[in-house]
Amino acid sequence: MKTLVLIPAYNEGSKISEVITSIKAIGYDVLVIDDGSTDNTAKISHNNGAVVLIHKVNRGQGASIKTGIEYARDIGYELVVFFDADGQMKADEIDKVIAPIVSGESEVVLGSRFLGSAKGIPLLKLITLRLALLFTRLTTGLKLSDTHNGFQAWNMVALSKIDLTQDRQAYASELLQEISENKIKYKEMPVTIVYTTYSKTKGQSIFNAFNIIWDLIIKK
Amino acid sequence: MLIQFILVAVIVLIVLRLIYQLKNKAIGLWQFFSWLVIWILAIAVIWYPSITTYIATRVGVGRGVDLVTYVSIIVIFYLMFRLLLKIEKIEKKMTKLVRKDALKNVSQNEKNK
Repeated sequence: MKTLVLIPAYNEGSKISEVITSIKAIGYDVLVIDDGSTDNTAKISHNNGAVVLIHKVNRGQGASIKTGIEYARDIGYELVVFFDADGQMKADEIDKVIAPIVSGESEVVLGSRFLGSAKGIPLLKLITLRLALLFTRLTTGLKLSDTHNGFQAWNMVALSKIDLTQDRQAYASELLQEISENKIKYKEMPVTIVYTTYSKTKGQSIFNAFNIIWDLIIKK
Repeated sequence: MLIQFILVAVIVLIVLRLIYQLKNKAIGLWQFFSWLVIWILAIAVIWYPSITTYIATRVGVGRGVDLVTYVSIIVIFYLMFRLLLKIEKIEKKMTKLVRKDALKNVSQNEKNK
């Protein structure tokens, strides 16, 4: 299947070349959505062989993902992998994550750090994620082992069934709601998420959980 | 009372600004008159506070000032709600625009390769 790895990036210039190189090494096309970065993220990505889309103004991770999906659809990709720019995820796990979609077993694969491993996860992050899991279970009815995990794979047919309206971080909850509402066949897959000093400073603050809930309630 | 003069002076300034905006066509005639009516009512209430006391006792509120506070809060909340919706709409439009621009520019880059 024609596969695209989609990386939303905001000021990731110091880390992104490593990430792109590791994905390119196993032979996948890479699309970077530079979400209004003020550093050289776009240039570095381009030099490392990624196709780069530039949001001239920062619009958030959800908006970036949606831009990437539209691009993938226009070009005719059949499978899209969501991947982080900060080096938290391992490129060599992509094959494993997309396998159930390639074999036709499921339409979506959701990475799970709790089935896999979450190296060096800070305690507060763990607690927030557990609460988010409960929230997801209550709002979508999906019995997942992890939520708001950015490592996912979608086939284009499933992507064309959903409509993302959340520009910011709440899109991750919205994706799960869409899976639940459209009865999309999904599967969880153990993945490794490594919490480095860099990813911790770059990642979202746990207080953002309040913003996410607010967005989900207000913007529906 | 001094407070009455101050408040009325402030409102007169606001109305002058309103006239200025009408002249510059920043607001329409209808909008101008609705604001004008609101400010004239405000002046009336400031100058003759007994009006609100009269209405207040009629609707069962003790003091005129209380009635004005209640009504103001409701109006402010409503305006805030409308502003939130408006901002949300603008944000959505902006995202669409930014996305369109990003997709357009990549197709140009690809062609130039």
